[in-house]
Amino acid sequence: MKIFLLFVLSTILVSCNHFEFSPNQSFDRMSLRDVNATNLKELGNGAEDDTIRFVLTGDTQKSRDETVMFCRTVNAIKGVDFVVLDGDISEFGVLKEMTWISRTLEDLTMPYIAVIGNHDETSRGREVFLNMFGQLNYSFVYGGIKFVCHDSNSREYNFNGKVPDIAWLKNELKPAPEVTGYVGISHVPANSVDFDSTLVKSYTSAFAQAPGFLASLNAHTHNHSVFYPDNSGIPYIVTGAMGKSEFLLLEIVNNKLSFERIYF
Amino acid sequence: MSGYIFKLQLIILLLLAINIKVSAQNLKFLIPDGAVVQYAGSIGYFSGGISYQLFPNQRGNLDLMYGFVPGSKGGVLNIATAKFAYKPWNIKVKNWGKIYPFNPGAFLTYTFHKDLSLKFPSGQYSHDYYYWSEALRPHIAFNSEIELDADKVLKNSRIKAISFYGEINTNDYYLINYLQNMSALTIDDIFQIGVGMRVKF
Repeated sequence: MKIFLLFVLSTILVSCNHFEFSPNQSFDRMSLRDVNATNLKELGNGAEDDTIRFVLTGDTQKSRDETVMFCRTVNAIKGVDFVVLDGDISEFGVLKEMTWISRTLEDLTMPYIAVIGNHDETSRGREVFLNMFGQLNYSFVYGGIKFVCHDSNSREYNFNGKVPDIAWLKNELKPAPEVTGYVGISHVPANSVDFDSTLVKSYTSAFAQAPGFLASLNAHTHNHSVFYPDNSGIPYIVTGAMGKSEFLLLEIVNNKLSFERIYF
Repeated sequence: MSGYIFKLQLIILLLLAINIKVSAQNLKFLIPDGAVVQYAGSIGYFSGGISYQLFPNQRGNLDLMYGFVPGSKGGVLNIATAKFAYKPWNIKVKNWGKIYPFNPGAFLTYTFHKDLSLKFPSGQYSHDYYYWSEALRPHIAFNSEIELDADKVLKNSRIKAISFYGEINTNDYYLINYLQNMSALTIDDIFQIGVGMRVKF
């Protein structure tokens, strides 16, 4: 009887984290908060760092086993400052999926930041993202480069002309004394049918007009590509999906950006 | 003329009265066999509803429930649930109760929230863009239930039995994630727990 009671008691204790109220909860007792802010604080401003090296990946969605392998591969590369998870963290926009992915990404030895993707905006995913990772549009400066992360999932807003937020972008891309160059990071690339076609021109010209704009980094298509939507010479670089067991390793030295495609 | 209308009214009233009597007998199956309340289990922070025993052998159970998740617990969500379970085994415990050790079941939830639609709007997305429903969720569940005979335990003749159950469930989202990622996810990740109490009249 004692053993039975002990068993019941331990089952209850173990199961406490499993008392789910709904798959559509926007947070729970255990869920993480402000992951981006916490990780950016850990990253610091990189003022002493003259070689910025970072990883671009995206579309983790249902590719959890691959994410485990991804962490091992990235950890083995020397000098990676941070990892960018460029949207579609989840498949169904639910809390559990984002929790499971961040649990795996905690194995990374360097900080990571997340950018919202279209799948993350289904159901209550936007609220989950706001709670767990932070703002949908945000920026940070590392090693003199300003990384402008933003929501470009126009279709999720039924192409209302407000996403991506051009006014916000222009403001972020204003010249600043500590910034030598800019990198745009968003999920849906400007040449996609899921990007608001009425905003493409103002979007690409906002980038082209920013002094020292290096590249736009995207995901979403699941296939690696590089395209040039205008004659500014700015590359729009798209990473292959996590599920394809590949990512991009980017390097910025002396305001010049280069990248390598890595398979795992 | 007025006499005619009076007679007509009388006949209509009589017909209605017969009708109500007949339908009351026909609709007797609508009277619930019990009431149920539950904590967690993916159908609300708290939920409650009515319970029916199904089949001649009374081994089927249907719960119709309404659940609520307050804003402070990750809501606000209103959830309607239709839950079915079957009790293949029961173990008699002396003269005061029964244990139903393993009862498989399934339930459907509909969650009312402005961000959750039954179907993704067809004007915004091509038909195969997203393949699932945000508001309607199928779940599979397993529960264990212990039933106490109210006469013996509570000395109460108004209710027949009172029972307590624990239930684990998972849904299509979690199952798809698990089946495609058996090493990064465990069964323990995808099953969620609820506990409840049922009173049989």
